[in-house]
Amino acid sequence: MVFSDLFFLFVFLPAVAICYLLAAWLDKSVLSTPLRKSFIARNSILVIFSLIFYAWGEPVYVLLMLACVFLTYLSGRIIGAGGNYKKPGLVFGLVCNIGILSIFKYSSMLVQTLNHFGLDVPDPKISLPIGISFYVFQSISYLVDIYRGDSPVQKNFLRLLLYISMFPQLIAGPIVRYGRVAEELNNRHVSAQDMAEGMQRFMLGLGKKVILANQFSELATQFMGGFSESTATTAGAWIGVVGFSLQIYFDFSGYSDMAIGIGRCLGFHFNENFNHPYICDSITDFWRRWHISLCSFFRDYVYIPMGGNRRHQVLNICVVWFLTGLWHGADWTFAMWGIYFALIVLFEKYVYLKIKPRIWKPFQHIYALMIIIIGRVLFYFDDLSTVGQFYKTLFGGASSTDFVAEAAILNNFWLWVIGIVCCLPLIDWSKQLLGKITGVDSSANNSITTAFQIVASIAILVLSVALLVGATNNAFIYTRF
Amino acid sequence: MKKYILYITVMVAVIAAFVVVFNFFPRSEYSELERRELTKRPEFSFEALKSGEYTKGVSSWYSDTEPFRDEFMTLSMQVRAMRALQVGAEEEQINYIAAEPDPELSEQSSESNISPISSVSPISPISPIASESSLEQSEPDLEDRTKITNNGIFIVGRAPNARALMAYRGKAGGGSYARVVNTYKEKFEDVNIYCMIIPTAVEFYCPERAKSATLPESATIDSLYNKLLPSVRQVRLLPVLAAHTDEPIYLRTDHHWAPLGAYYAAQELCRVARVHVPQLAEFEEQVTHRFVGSMYGFSRDISIKQSPEDFIYYVPTNVTYTTTYTIYEIDSAYQVVKEYRPRQGEFFHHFKDGSGLAYCTFMGGDTKITKVETSTKNGRKVLILKDSFGNALPGYLFGSFEEVHVIDGRYFTKNMVDYVSQNGITDIVFANNVFKAYAGGKQYLKFLTQHGSGIYTPRPQPKDSVVVQPDSMQTIIADTISADRTDTLTEVQNGTIFAADSLNNEQTNNKEQTEIIE
Repeated sequence: MVFSDLFFLFVFLPAVAICYLLAAWLDKSVLSTPLRKSFIARNSILVIFSLIFYAWGEPVYVLLMLACVFLTYLSGRIIGAGGNYKKPGLVFGLVCNIGILSIFKYSSMLVQTLNHFGLDVPDPKISLPIGISFYVFQSISYLVDIYRGDSPVQKNFLRLLLYISMFPQLIAGPIVRYGRVAEELNNRHVSAQDMAEGMQRFMLGLGKKVILANQFSELATQFMGGFSESTATTAGAWIGVVGFSLQIYFDFSGYSDMAIGIGRCLGFHFNENFNHPYICDSITDFWRRWHISLCSFFRDYVYIPMGGNRRHQVLNICVVWFLTGLWHGADWTFAMWGIYFALIVLFEKYVYLKIKPRIWKPFQHIYALMIIIIGRVLFYFDDLSTVGQFYKTLFGGASSTDFVAEAAILNNFWLWVIGIVCCLPLIDWSKQLLGKITGVDSSANNSITTAFQIVASIAILVLSVALLVGATNNAFIYTRF
Repeated sequence: MKKYILYITVMVAVIAAFVVVFNFFPRSEYSELERRELTKRPEFSFEALKSGEYTKGVSSWYSDTEPFRDEFMTLSMQVRAMRALQVGAEEEQINYIAAEPDPELSEQSSESNISPISSVSPISPISPIASESSLEQSEPDLEDRTKITNNGIFIVGRAPNARALMAYRGKAGGGSYARVVNTYKEKFEDVNIYCMIIPTAVEFYCPERAKSATLPESATIDSLYNKLLPSVRQVRLLPVLAAHTDEPIYLRTDHHWAPLGAYYAAQELCRVARVHVPQLAEFEEQVTHRFVGSMYGFSRDISIKQSPEDFIYYVPTNVTYTTTYTIYEIDSAYQVVKEYRPRQGEFFHHFKDGSGLAYCTFMGGDTKITKVETSTKNGRKVLILKDSFGNALPGYLFGSFEEVHVIDGRYFTKNMVDYVSQNGITDIVFANNVFKAYAGGKQYLKFLTQHGSGIYTPRPQPKDSVVVQPDSMQTIIADTISADRTDTLTEVQNGTIFAADSLNNEQTNNKEQTEIIE
């Protein structure tokens, strides 16, 4: 099931809401004691719906996820036993999790690579379980955090299962750190502010996905899907790759917004995953703003343990980026994409960031955006020969423009304008502006804000529903990873 | 605090309203707008649950059968139409007309017109005329207003006169279809064989700017005619139709031609066949008003919906005729599953105003063998082997032939040699559109050898003929009108074609069938 599915919006989500409210009543009036607030009913309802949510798309692999959580739970308990058991427990947990990930995500790639070098290994043809990269990483983060003593061991299996399988962030992140929600698994409170802001966040994400990402995906598909060098034009290639860049941003940040929004409504405060990445002025800056939960994961669990910037930093950077690339997909183009960014980050470290203050600001942004957009080509195609052809087209190896390319600009003119403008931190700016005009927290400010929020949310909802009726291609990109 | 509660209350109310409408209102079953039966609720089985098919089916059933689906779809299309930059206000148009034509553009288009033709056949008296007339056609303001939908359909002009065009992506080629026709000539030496390739609207109405995104159909047509045996009689339509492009010879909102275009084609056929050439005076004009055809569903562009046209057809008045249908029942995979006994019926089925199915006026669709006995006595009995474009032809031939037989290239279970000899056919006309001709038309060869008992014979679908060059979305859609399953709206998902059984013909077939049988 995906968030931007009418079935999710109008059957699953209302069902969760109603059952959750009933469970809350049950918790409060029956299961709680004056000394201890109960969350058993609420947590159980969330786990049940999360399993349904996952099984909806992966009826068999839901068992794999349960096994993964169970093994993580087991090794967590071993680590919790302390003393001599600590390290073996961690190693056991990591081997299980990384093993599962390797088998289900990377075995095909490995086999194909071996076959490429002349070995004849049969392809096991294992299909990729949705979201495996996300829930395995959450398990790892849990194990490492309790090993380091940053968070307490979770002795309650239900709560650990809830942490890893919670449906808002289950299949496409953000990768929530255990420490972030450990408290809230036992005790959480939803204020009216949480609820209202959570709903707004969800609507914002829905709009990003359905109104923007889905439309840009048509343009990306038109110019990049089934790419053929003979009919392509340079302008068309640029339209395609810029469209894809916008699509992937709105798609993924929209998903994160919806996840964070649902989390808020349930009383969880997930970490932020995006911070307007396309306003970055360097690639180093970009990676602090894009998929923050993944980057900080690699920073805390790979880069720093390897020695960070104290020992062989260049190697560390290369390893981290190679892994980041590979995390996105079991394909050598993704590995190349990672290495591409490793080289850029190194270049920035030793050259660009030193001369950056002397560069005119707009050029900084143009430079960063060009690097990002060019990198997206590696991200889109999965075979290297098409990548080569596409780059050739992109840099003038084809006729410059044609009617189709012009039409793609003119017929989608306002979509392009809105898409590009929405990459800017509009909400922050307008809040500041309104604050200056009416005064922060004045009643005028509040009424204007609330009125705008209501109108915008309803408009997004109605529009999204209309666009979703009859939509064919609606899957989120990042659920593949 | 108060502001949060206000927001929550309003949003919960709105969402609750949606939930009530979407879950408790009657669900849509048929989309008037897309002309297709909507997805059915999937059957539950443990196997389907395990494979994930069941849950997937429930999701797509749910989002396909929304209450008020067409209203939401219309809203969605209106919103999507707002994305375009509306250039060409009145004043700007005048400026544009005054401006010189862009030399670069016209050069480009003339190149694309000439090169394939010259490389194939030096003798092409037709194509210059065709392209000239289309030059006249493409008025500057249309140039300005042409847009291309994301699935590769050109929308020329604006409501209420917008025209949708499907780009043509075939190269010269056509050899396989020519071989089919030649084989018929060799098989039926004593029968006159005619080859009529029907061009589509894009050949005549494509604005200059858009020409780089389509290929000239004349290249395919000329190359194909050059490969025919000299004894095959050619019915060349390009010059005939090019002379009438200022008349409504093609439907603006449908992928078919208009009955008027078929009238000029029928005249040309009769001239070549040396029989009485029909004149419009011999016919009575009938109209289905406010017709919006298949291109609306294909393009999903609101301006087509807002550009209804009159579907005008012509009923012969000075001949009497009886029509006998042998109707096939087909399953959802377009396989013939049953043949009914021959029954008499009306040749013309009038559709009420506003119907989107008006092209099925002729014989009510494709899945049948039609035999018309006329009051004309000249010993000539014609058999038309056609796709849906050919449906518009036979109505004009009742004053020129003693019998008119119509067989669809997709639905025929008998043996062709037997059929021709049993019915004493003297003339066989291949009347298919250029997409179909480019795809090869091999199924006609099978008709010669199959031993049809008239009952169900399974016909394997020639899958490889469906996609000619799957290099773009545009091609795939264009190919669908060449494919075996002509006239079915297709959805393209991940490069796969799903025939979402839809358009006019199949739909009415089922309805007509019951009527005729009763």
